[in-house]
Amino acid sequence: MKKLLFFMIFLSAAGLVRAGGYQVNLIGVRYVGMGHIGTGLTMDAGSIFFNPGALSLIKDKYSITGSVSGIFSYTQFRSANAGYTARTDNPLSTPFSVFASAKITDDLSAGIGVYTPFGSSIVWGDNWGGKYLIQDIKLKAVFFQPTVSYKIGDKLGIGAGLVFAYGKVDLHRAIPVTFADGSSGQANLKGHATNWGYNVGISFKPIEALTIGLNYRSKIKMDLKDGDANFTVPSSLSANFPAGNKFDATLPLPATFSGGISYNINEKFLIGAQVDYVRWSAYDSLIFDFKQNTSSLPDSRNPRKYDNTFIFRLGGQYKASDMLTIRLGGYYDETPVKKDYENPETPDGNRIGLSAGLSIYPIEKLSIDLSFLFVNQLKRDSQYLPANFKGAYKTYAYIPGIGLTYNF
Amino acid sequence: MKLKIAHLYVALAALTFGCKPDIKEDITATSGTANFSQYVAVGNSLTAGYADGALYKQGQSYAYPNILAQQFALVGGGPFKIPYMVDDNGIGVQNNQPVTKRILGPVTDCKGVTSLGPVFAGIPNLANLAPIPGPFNNMGVPGAKSFHLLTPLFGRPLTQGGNPFYYRMASNPGVSTVVGDVVAQNPTFVSIWIGNNDVLGYASTGGEEGGDSITSVTAYTQYLYAIVNTVTAGGAKGVIANITDVTSIPYFRTVPYNGLVLTSQAQVDALNAGYAPLGIKFNLGQNPFIISDKNAPGGLRQIKSDELILLTIPQDSIKCKGLGSQIPIPGKYVLDQTEIANIKTATAGYNQAIVTVAQQKDLAFADMASLMSSLSTGITFDGLTFTTTFVTGGAFSLDGIHLTPQGNAIVANGFIDAINHKYSSTLPQVNVASYPGIVFP
Repeated sequence: MKKLLFFMIFLSAAGLVRAGGYQVNLIGVRYVGMGHIGTGLTMDAGSIFFNPGALSLIKDKYSITGSVSGIFSYTQFRSANAGYTARTDNPLSTPFSVFASAKITDDLSAGIGVYTPFGSSIVWGDNWGGKYLIQDIKLKAVFFQPTVSYKIGDKLGIGAGLVFAYGKVDLHRAIPVTFADGSSGQANLKGHATNWGYNVGISFKPIEALTIGLNYRSKIKMDLKDGDANFTVPSSLSANFPAGNKFDATLPLPATFSGGISYNINEKFLIGAQVDYVRWSAYDSLIFDFKQNTSSLPDSRNPRKYDNTFIFRLGGQYKASDMLTIRLGGYYDETPVKKDYENPETPDGNRIGLSAGLSIYPIEKLSIDLSFLFVNQLKRDSQYLPANFKGAYKTYAYIPGIGLTYNF
Repeated sequence: MKLKIAHLYVALAALTFGCKPDIKEDITATSGTANFSQYVAVGNSLTAGYADGALYKQGQSYAYPNILAQQFALVGGGPFKIPYMVDDNGIGVQNNQPVTKRILGPVTDCKGVTSLGPVFAGIPNLANLAPIPGPFNNMGVPGAKSFHLLTPLFGRPLTQGGNPFYYRMASNPGVSTVVGDVVAQNPTFVSIWIGNNDVLGYASTGGEEGGDSITSVTAYTQYLYAIVNTVTAGGAKGVIANITDVTSIPYFRTVPYNGLVLTSQAQVDALNAGYAPLGIKFNLGQNPFIISDKNAPGGLRQIKSDELILLTIPQDSIKCKGLGSQIPIPGKYVLDQTEIANIKTATAGYNQAIVTVAQQKDLAFADMASLMSSLSTGITFDGLTFTTTFVTGGAFSLDGIHLTPQGNAIVANGFIDAINHKYSSTLPQVNVASYPGIVFP
């Protein structure tokens, strides 16, 4: 118990992890419980996402794991010059993941994963001070990833997965035309896109207790074609905002390099660390290219100018008994958003995540997994320069998760 | 052990779930060295909230002094009484006749083409001009020039040459003065924005003889000192704004100098034949309009690219009756180079007087002239970009002279900046995006 306490204090002090933008790092609640480390682990079929190379190093012949998280997030905006406060009224969003793997031979493993590594769900309301930038946005990407992994000797695993990505977006933004009742017009843009990517990794166990992993998940450019652009405007302006208009847009899902390490201090204690490098610079601008342009409806070009970022993660688990494993972790996730390009569409800031989790084994090999992650997105004074929209943002997110894992 | 941890987990979750982010109030509104308890606004139609060619209820409610008063209320400002009209069609004046405000509606031109344009909202209700009991915190009077604020003649009935908007709100019509009614309220804070009409009257009548004349800079300066001295005599602090360049507003910038569009060679040939003696040539496409000029040979000439045509020019006459081509455009619709220079010289003189009086009387100074010049090139707030373009520019209402609610919010923010700067107050600005723009049907 003393040891455990020490471990907790250590993690709260050093336990800083980061993730930013619209990346959602909630793949598998067992991993979430440990600050979302996973690249340097060989725990279950979740390696399909974290490190395909590790899949062939898993001891069990079959592994099935699935989980779902619930994100309760609250963002506050405080205007710098007008002094008002706005708060989001976000719906619950539920990222999920399901992975299954099997050993085809002793050395060759195969598996498939379905997971949601990107998304965003923000509702500011139709009448808040930043309505001409964004009223609400729903963004979701689902990845399907068949994967193979091969073990070379006893110490080295390599693996690769092909990613098929499906993404959809649905957003509302006020447009500066006024109805007789004083309300403003509205644009609704929605559509979906698909594309391919890959996920490759290598896992190395120089000694039984130590695992080192490297992982690269490719960028996927989501080219949205022929999305629906619908406008709610006064009838006298219907010719300026043609009905049935379409738009094209591109949203990059950035590449991530990840390096992780884990060490079994003894049979009960495991500790791990991980660094992710997210190539957010792929997100330079968001352009809505409308099929039919008019004098009132030029293409919408929105600079984003994201920077590449690091995420530092630390986590560990303790096997309290055959029936219970407990986990703790944390991360520090740098924001990719420049101070002058902070947009309420993706209100971002440096984030500290602190997590805890546990697995209960009602029977051997089957675990019920729980996690809880608290994310504190630090207050940030910023502005979106192109719109002259200034203020401070702060976000708290509470993320419980539940899952099942069956390794046999 | 198992149970205890589970308990802890649930307790932690329950504890933290209820907690939402709360950014510390790092800006607290304070009044600084000013006292906003009794605020009175002095000015003309811009101050009154005149918009869309009329004074009407909703326009009055969005007038910048009312926006200011709402912010003052955060730091001890008192009630702000507005001389509301009785309806939302209001009363404006066109060719000395009462009219209602304009709204956007379908307009069919002489060629049978229908498009959206400003039309009257209805029949004016003269009950709007009936006297109402004051005193009023918004003492902005449509049509007021500097000297009007000082004379009791301004409050006589319309039939005797008075101003109907002051007549209805004067404490004693024909006897009281605007500044007198201001002082009688013992203001602790005043805003003063006066002088636009001293030059706009001339500009909006094309600078013609028999029309309105420009108040001389010397006279304006005297009047301004009289106004400021009177309203601050009781120790009121305040803010004074300078005069915008009226030639940059949509009223003078909407009809282009080369708006004479010739689409057939026959038209070109006919005009070339007619104007051959004066050596004026026409081409297919855009051509400068022909205007009257008594100093030019034959009393007419082509307009120069830096001369301006007024928004009030009859468009149908241009399209169907040869105005600006066969018939020269009369001077009352044109500001020529000399007239523009007269306007600019007077404005610069007024503004020098305003800066000086602000310094001498230790008043906050709101630089509306600079705000207007940035509006000419485009200025963005809260995701909205404003320009001086008619209708679509967002800042100016359907009369091309007065402000929209969003335009009033921008002006109010300019005043707030000036007040905060002078009196070390921390009044928050207003969110421009929460105000309406021009209403479309």
